[in-house]
Amino acid sequence: MEPLLSIAVILIGMYGLIASETIIKSVFSATMIESGVILLFLNLGALNGGVIPISDGVNLVIVDPIPQALMITTIVIGSTVTSLALILSIKVFHNNGSIHWKDITK
Amino acid sequence: MIHLPVLFLFLPIVIALIIYLIQSSHIHWLVFPMQLILIVSFIFYVIAWKNDPSIGVLVFGGWDETIAITFLLDALNLTFVGLTIFFFSIIFFYAFKSNYHEKKFFFFLAFLESVFLGLLMTNDLFNLFVFLEVIALLVTLLITYRKGENALKAGLQYLLLASMASILYLIGVLLLYYVFGHLNIALMKDTMPSVLNTNLVKLAYGLIITGIGLKAAVFPLYAWLPKAHGVAPSSVSALLSGLVVKAALYLLMRLHGEMFHAPYEFSTVIFWLGMISALAGVIFAMVQKDLKQILAYHTVSQVGLMFIGLSFNQGNSFLGGWLHILNHAVFKGLLFLAAGVIIKAYQTKKVYDIQGVFKTLPWTASLMLIGILSITGAPLFNGYVSKSMLKYAFKDEMFIMFLFNLINLGTIISFSKVAMMLFGKPHLKVLIKRASISQHLPMTIVAITSLVIGLFYQPLITWIYDIVPYAIHLEDARIYLEYIFWVSLGFNLYYFILKRDYRPLAKIRELTMTFPTANFLLLVFLVSMVAFLYLA
Repeated sequence: MEPLLSIAVILIGMYGLIASETIIKSVFSATMIESGVILLFLNLGALNGGVIPISDGVNLVIVDPIPQALMITTIVIGSTVTSLALILSIKVFHNNGSIHWKDITK
Repeated sequence: MIHLPVLFLFLPIVIALIIYLIQSSHIHWLVFPMQLILIVSFIFYVIAWKNDPSIGVLVFGGWDETIAITFLLDALNLTFVGLTIFFFSIIFFYAFKSNYHEKKFFFFLAFLESVFLGLLMTNDLFNLFVFLEVIALLVTLLITYRKGENALKAGLQYLLLASMASILYLIGVLLLYYVFGHLNIALMKDTMPSVLNTNLVKLAYGLIITGIGLKAAVFPLYAWLPKAHGVAPSSVSALLSGLVVKAALYLLMRLHGEMFHAPYEFSTVIFWLGMISALAGVIFAMVQKDLKQILAYHTVSQVGLMFIGLSFNQGNSFLGGWLHILNHAVFKGLLFLAAGVIIKAYQTKKVYDIQGVFKTLPWTASLMLIGILSITGAPLFNGYVSKSMLKYAFKDEMFIMFLFNLINLGTIISFSKVAMMLFGKPHLKVLIKRASISQHLPMTIVAITSLVIGLFYQPLITWIYDIVPYAIHLEDARIYLEYIFWVSLGFNLYYFILKRDYRPLAKIRELTMTFPTANFLLLVFLVSMVAFLYLA
């Protein structure tokens, strides 16, 4: 069930990218897609129902640690991309007085 | 010796940090010793690798190969590493004087070099994603470096589209990890034909191809490229068109050519993608009036030609595609660098306003002419070699040969426009009498490289790939006559049709794509790629 929900988040983000008319909404849609991907990957790594990969000697079934290691990197990169995109949109707004894609791509 | 690739990755990044952190206005002289060390160690490494190719596999940390970070160096990426080091040396030279007071510029460039070398050497699908994203960030910063109004818009669109492409690629990687349980490219390549869960692998293939397609700017996804390459500073444009776009083509060779190609037949789709984007790029380039836009749209068309070669469709045409990557880096870099000098001298980018460059800047004009001859496929120059190697595999198919000739004719027509600005009488006031030696020297080196590859491509390919390529008979007078025929036809078409600038042509020029449309096309592209894969 949870993988399907993350796929739904990805698809909503994709719809947002097509439908949104302003820069800020596009940036948020891209962030949503990324969150969906992160959730999906973490879910796929934890399908065996294990616990977090820090051994306490009692629970021997642990989840796959590689997706967690990879996704923390993706979160860092994603936040960098989002912040740079937001800074650029502020500058574009100061130059053009508008954040509508229609006014910007002329 | 075996650990030299680590130096390729870490030396530029350390130097970049030193340049950024140390408060001295001359600290960026450091880039020259850095490039020298890189070139020398690269030569040593290649000699050692030629004796014993097994040193190309590097596993860090003593872990098992399935979870460790690994580097893999073979004939394919060593040529790219060499090209990268060569190209960055040229750009550092060219930009050094004009950007002398901008430390941050050199910080970004050295950082980009390190990340690019990392992308080429890594053997891990997730590391590829990280390097792709960092390249997108650095390229955005370089495009928007001057903070011009158009540059900011182009940079924002590039950043969002490129990060979308990376995310699609990441979903593909995730599915592959789910199927294979590791991310090692070399191991995945060996087990790919025996995989049972082909549905998920096909989906992953479609997602990865879409990501690569956007980064390489194939036909419906090219919207960001002319904008971004057209507004960046000239040295950055040369770097982007010459080198950074090739990251996607390297991934195409690695992932499509070596990994997915064996079990899944997809090369026909890639072939036609390349053909359509080559034609579309030429059509859009013909109607442009801005010098840098013409060059940028030609990147779209030349990338299409490389896609044709790298689709591994037929015979040895992939050698042509591979060589065209190197050649395009050489001549497009030369064209952008020369255009930068001319634009700076005339203070305008409009092709029709610039005239008489041979009178004002003779040496730059001759170098530009070499670039034009090379891109239009004149014999003796490198563009001719790779284009004929591409065409040779298809010599029996009339329709494809006709399309190839059409692409070349379009290239000649649009470069007639560029070549015309070299002749005539200058009527604008020229700001600089002569480009400085620090700009002329790297351009001359690139021009000489163009001639050298054009004449000595055979020993080069035999040395790298141990394949004897198709030989071109330069003493045959027919190839020269053929070239003269196409040039005269192209020039006449330019003079009597294109120069008049009829309304339909202006309409094509004014076609623009908004960001939501570009995203819509990206999703359509993705869906159709996946559909092709499942139906094939």
